[in-house]
Amino acid sequence: MKLLFKLAARNLIGAGRRTWLNVIVLSFSFIIIIWHKGILNGWESQAKNDMTEWETGGGQYWQSVYDPFDPFSLTEAHAAIPAAMDSSCAKGNMASILVTQGTIYPGGRIQSILIKGINSNQKVLKIPGALFESDSSEIPALIGSRMAEDNRLKTGDLVTLRWRDKNGTFDAGEMKIIGIFKTNVPMVDAGQIWLPLDHLQKMMGMPGEATILVCKKDLKVTASTAGWNFKSTELLQKSVSDMIKMKSVSGAILYLILMSLAMLAIFDTQVLSIFRRQKEIGTYIALGMTRFQVVGLFTIEGSLNSVLSAILAAMYGIPLLALQASRGMSFPGGSKDFGIVMADKIYPTYSLELIGITILFIMITTTIVSYLPSRRIAKMNPTEALRGKLQ
Amino acid sequence: MDNSKIISIEGLKKTFTTTGGKFTALNGINLEFGKGEFTGVVGPSGSGKTTLLNIIGSLDSPSEGKAIVLGKSIGELNVKQSAMLRRSQLGFIFQSYNLLPVYTVFENVEFPLLLLNMNDGQRKKMVLDSLEWLGLTDKIKSMPSQLSGGECQRVAIARAMVKKPEIVLADEPTANLDAANSHHILKSMVQLNKEFNTTFIFATHDDKVIGYLHRKISLVDGKVAKDEITNN
Repeated sequence: MKLLFKLAARNLIGAGRRTWLNVIVLSFSFIIIIWHKGILNGWESQAKNDMTEWETGGGQYWQSVYDPFDPFSLTEAHAAIPAAMDSSCAKGNMASILVTQGTIYPGGRIQSILIKGINSNQKVLKIPGALFESDSSEIPALIGSRMAEDNRLKTGDLVTLRWRDKNGTFDAGEMKIIGIFKTNVPMVDAGQIWLPLDHLQKMMGMPGEATILVCKKDLKVTASTAGWNFKSTELLQKSVSDMIKMKSVSGAILYLILMSLAMLAIFDTQVLSIFRRQKEIGTYIALGMTRFQVVGLFTIEGSLNSVLSAILAAMYGIPLLALQASRGMSFPGGSKDFGIVMADKIYPTYSLELIGITILFIMITTTIVSYLPSRRIAKMNPTEALRGKLQ
Repeated sequence: MDNSKIISIEGLKKTFTTTGGKFTALNGINLEFGKGEFTGVVGPSGSGKTTLLNIIGSLDSPSEGKAIVLGKSIGELNVKQSAMLRRSQLGFIFQSYNLLPVYTVFENVEFPLLLLNMNDGQRKKMVLDSLEWLGLTDKIKSMPSQLSGGECQRVAIARAMVKKPEIVLADEPTANLDAANSHHILKSMVQLNKEFNTTFIFATHDDKVIGYLHRKISLVDGKVAKDEITNN
């Protein structure tokens, strides 16, 4: 086996340009697959991190009626915060959010929105509640930059807000935009306004009540409690995981195309090589190699393309990928345009597992593709091979 | 030359199926070869010379009859046993040299020893000795593409002789060489035959080769037409 590797390496290097063309094409596949996977991994980890910081925290308790996909549930989706949780909120381990529907009239237009009340002193989420401290006779409101842009609102603007209290009575008031925050998480931005919790509770006639209780990132909570259902971070971030999974599947088509090109080149080279090197094959057999050893030699020769391409890919790929990992890749307005959690700049992350699996995948594929045409050698008549007479 | 028989062929027939029907290349050959012979199988194209050499070299198998080489019946050997026979006891010299193009002269000659799993030191010594016999010590690092035809054939002889085989089978070894080179390599082979008592069997129709043979077997249409000891 050692001899076959030695001979195969020698033959491969000796083949010159043919080898290097294959190796270069295959090294592109290495780099693009690792880069693409790295971008998806980076996107996923950044998105989940952003969601944890802005929306999901370390898990949430939902009032048992609350269903984010059913707006009609909002009228009933509120309850008094249990004492233990209220104490957790006071300690800064939880943030309570009250959710209701409302309407704003920016610039004379009508816009349905979600009104969310959050405690101003919470540190669980990045919603800048501290801005609520400003003294204002109007209803103080925070909005995200998407909401501001979509409704052409800016800090200091006054907008009419209409809502229904717990009895279903319509009420309205002047709302002042006291701050605009920037986030990559559209779920806390688009179509929503944030008010101080106590203010909203007063407006709704629901003192001490909330819809959602957000746990601090590292708070170890898993169990539901009476009237409140616990939702884990994994569940809350499932949409992102599913989206990345879907992107990975669509990325697999790219890998398939890339690998097909590289494998086609290797397959073609193997076929041509076996055809052109019939005399050499016959000579190997005449000198005492078995046909299966020659099949092995040609298969190893083909699969060594992947080893050389991994080395070449490492030579130019490591600096390139490292540079991108440190500088990131810009996707300006990505989350705004697509409505998904996506940072303006994604920093790819490359794990050893990703690199290892990619190398293994390419090596196995290359070996199979190299073996397929090499099987023909086993059927060769050595006397005809020696004369180079096979077609 | 001693009289011990190392090749024994009895009623050997070889037929090939071609598009035009069956073609009989060898038709009832009976021959014996002793150790240290310097023998040529001569005859026109298509007379069956190369087929006979291929069977003796276990590259092909008989359709009928027996070919016993160094005590082994060629028709009964499996692929691995044939390979082992060629690897350890047979040497081949081809008309078009068949050197491995990406290997240097040294590596080409070393190749049969690599298959025998010899250690580095022993291998190096044997390769250098072999190259010295053929006067190629100054070409050790050359590639086959840098050599003349005569030099290539000398490398091929060195490769065939390096493991000191019992039998060397040479198929038209001078066909691509000019007269001077032909005589040069033939003299080398005569010398190696004398020095190591290696059996040389040629397939040829070259008069220059015939002039060096000790025994000449003439084949016509797959049959032995004449088997004569020459005065060389």
